[in-house]
Amino acid sequence: MKKILTLIMTAALSMLVALPAMAKDAIVGVSWSNFQEERWKTDEAAIKKVLEAGGAKYISADAQSSPAKQLTDIESLISRGATAIIVLAQDSAAIGPAVEKATQEGIPVVGYDRLIENKDAYYITFDNVEVGRMQARAVLAAKPEGNYVFIKGSASDPNADFLHAGQLEVLKEAMDAGKIKNVGEAYTDGWVPANAQKNMEQILTKNDNKVDAVVASNDGMAGGVVAALASQGMVVPVSGQDGDHAALNRVALGTQTVSVWKDARALGAQAAKIALALAKGTAMDKIEGSVKFSGGPKKVEMNATFLAPVPITQDKLSTVIDAGWVKKDVVCKGVKAGSVAACK
Amino acid sequence: MMFIQLRHHVKVGGCAFYLGLLILSSSVIADVQFTNRTDEQTFNHQYTGEWEFFVGGGIATFDCNNDNYPDLFVAGGSSPAKLLINESHKTKNNALHFSHQRQKSTNLKSVTGAYPLDIDGDGILDLAVLRVGENILLKGEGNCKFSRANEHWGFDGEDKWTTAFSATYTSAQETKRNEPILAFGNYVDRKNDKGPFGTCDTNSINRFTNGKFDKSIILKPSYCTLSMLFSDWNRDGYADLRVSNDRHYYVHDGEEQLWKMLKKPRLYTEEEGWKSFKIWGMGIASRDITGDGMPDYLLTSMSDQKFQILEDYAGQPSYKDGAYKRGMTAHRPYFGNEGRPSTAWHAEFGDVNNDGFDDLFIAKGNVEQMPDAAMKDPNNLLIQNKEGKFTEVGQQAGIADTGKSRGATLSDLNQDGKLDLVVINRRVDMQIYENTSTKIGNWIAIKVHQKGSNTRAVGAWIELQANGKIHHREITVGGGHAGGSAVANHFGVGDVKQIKFRVTWPDGEESKWHTKEVNQIIVFKRK
Repeated sequence: MKKILTLIMTAALSMLVALPAMAKDAIVGVSWSNFQEERWKTDEAAIKKVLEAGGAKYISADAQSSPAKQLTDIESLISRGATAIIVLAQDSAAIGPAVEKATQEGIPVVGYDRLIENKDAYYITFDNVEVGRMQARAVLAAKPEGNYVFIKGSASDPNADFLHAGQLEVLKEAMDAGKIKNVGEAYTDGWVPANAQKNMEQILTKNDNKVDAVVASNDGMAGGVVAALASQGMVVPVSGQDGDHAALNRVALGTQTVSVWKDARALGAQAAKIALALAKGTAMDKIEGSVKFSGGPKKVEMNATFLAPVPITQDKLSTVIDAGWVKKDVVCKGVKAGSVAACK
Repeated sequence: MMFIQLRHHVKVGGCAFYLGLLILSSSVIADVQFTNRTDEQTFNHQYTGEWEFFVGGGIATFDCNNDNYPDLFVAGGSSPAKLLINESHKTKNNALHFSHQRQKSTNLKSVTGAYPLDIDGDGILDLAVLRVGENILLKGEGNCKFSRANEHWGFDGEDKWTTAFSATYTSAQETKRNEPILAFGNYVDRKNDKGPFGTCDTNSINRFTNGKFDKSIILKPSYCTLSMLFSDWNRDGYADLRVSNDRHYYVHDGEEQLWKMLKKPRLYTEEEGWKSFKIWGMGIASRDITGDGMPDYLLTSMSDQKFQILEDYAGQPSYKDGAYKRGMTAHRPYFGNEGRPSTAWHAEFGDVNNDGFDDLFIAKGNVEQMPDAAMKDPNNLLIQNKEGKFTEVGQQAGIADTGKSRGATLSDLNQDGKLDLVVINRRVDMQIYENTSTKIGNWIAIKVHQKGSNTRAVGAWIELQANGKIHHREITVGGGHAGGSAVANHFGVGDVKQIKFRVTWPDGEESKWHTKEVNQIIVFKRK
């Protein structure tokens, strides 16, 4: 009996001590899918910055591309005292047991960039269909009528079709009205620029060079397209995405119309803010700016935040320069003095 | 020098193995060595073609001229398939050597893979040839001659994109004769304009009765299958059909499957214990690795491989994944620094160092230019230790090819008791590796035969006692990636000199236990 009492007292004491400490010291664990990929280092820096400012501790684990390792990583983040967990899932279909475990222990989970379709998880990502829409909008503004070409992504990558769906959504009206004519479209094996260039050359030949605009799904392929056009002495509106440095330079030079940019720092910072709020007990549907999302394959309703990508056109180049994404001299290389505001 | 006389008068030197025993120790791992014999061949072979040949590229391994040396039938995609006759016994030191035998019936284009089996029960192995287009059954005529038998056997090869195959035989309880049941797995329905995503074709079952095939039974739903295997997972005497499917093309609406092989096959359900999971299923390797007498299944995929171990739920097909704990995930390249996940295809268990613990070969290679997966993706050779953990030795062993590998065979091709390796690559020459390890253990190889239609005793189990351990080996046709073998069952046995074995025949009858000396090939015929 005495022993039990002692135990209870010890438990009560430790609760007294632990409770205020928990409220003050949030520990946010991040489970990365593969930290060897360079791009996540930007996200991590942004997450750390927000956590530091909020007085929270950052812990992390790297699944090294293994879904099985990621399950044990999340367990270990839990045992290391995480009060909220951000997960970049290697395999969103296999992550379920870890999310359930965290949820059971009252630890909120934020699915980062890749959907974890679980009602107990929060979801934050960029609006990917919007990328396609933004590409089409920019090209349409530059060329409201004429012969359009679509250089799509890899046929083996479902994202290629999501992007294309967004593009068509914007162009449908003009296409139905006969203002825009689709004179050629091609998937690009592996999203490889050289393949995009080859496809573009074939489409130009087939159409006797009568092409007025090209909706290309990313910057690498836009590079291939621009090369194919240049060899025919042509310059027409061309879209892209990713904010590749070479693409931003083409935007400044006027050979590419738009590069849709997803700012990883904004994504990281926002995810960290959400994780902090959840760790402090904010309900998922009370997160500022949260929306209901049920567009996943299983139609599970979740709370989510969608960040808007930024279409970088020539007049918006200062956005990426000011953000420190790219240096001014890289963007402005070869640009005629005075022709582009951001290069002044 | 000690020679062992085999039934077919093949002499095999055995002394090297005894020498090896003296230093059989933890250094074994480093001692596994393969010698690449590709350049010594008089032919080269590549698996070629566009999108429809991104998958496939299998090998059928079997002895078609009755000289005990396994011959190979290799898929070529848009290039013709090749029949490669094993002439290793004609070379100095039994070095692996094959010659290309041209023959109209085997010189087929659009072949994705092939599996050897005896369809008509005449004792000669036939070939089920999988194609983009009509599948073809080749009847073995003996001496490596083959003739097309679709019409003769009333087989409709259809016009699909076939990428998987397995076969079992009707049990004696069900019919008087043990007749083959063939399962064909099809990938994307390439005639569907809405494809390729979410447009998986259906799989089918073809039963052979009284010398002819019945109309095929359609397996619905099917989810872009890349490997299938009839296996008696619960050892009740009946094989069920495990189907591994590619999530890349079924996208969301699909999963791994286990069909209960009733007259009208049906899927096992979650209520019955089957746990739904999705992978980029490419290949199946089965073997009892845990030693519980039940087959375990290694499923290849992108990133992690899965290792399915039967859970202890009475009679339920409930599996847990044991790959991570055992070091079998092989999820990314083990050298280079790109860090992107691997893409795995053929997998096969086999004891390459004859220490009594089965090892694992996995063929790797990017689909084509998939940006999220590793481009330089070396093949794996994972050595199992006595604690059941697997360690990568691909690079030290000399098999770490980074070509886009697909099908493979891990078989003793020169009959020296050591498992050799042949790997088919996309648009890169097929690689032939001879196991030239010297410091390795003893072995025994057992071929089983019975009378009736099921001459190779598919569905039989060999139990082999060595070192106080019992190996349980199921004889199957299927699995792998687009290819399989019908060769002697090889067992590494470490330092023991004598083993005991018995066979449980497909109808459940058990043979007596037989005691045999190691380092020989035994042909065990049912009385």
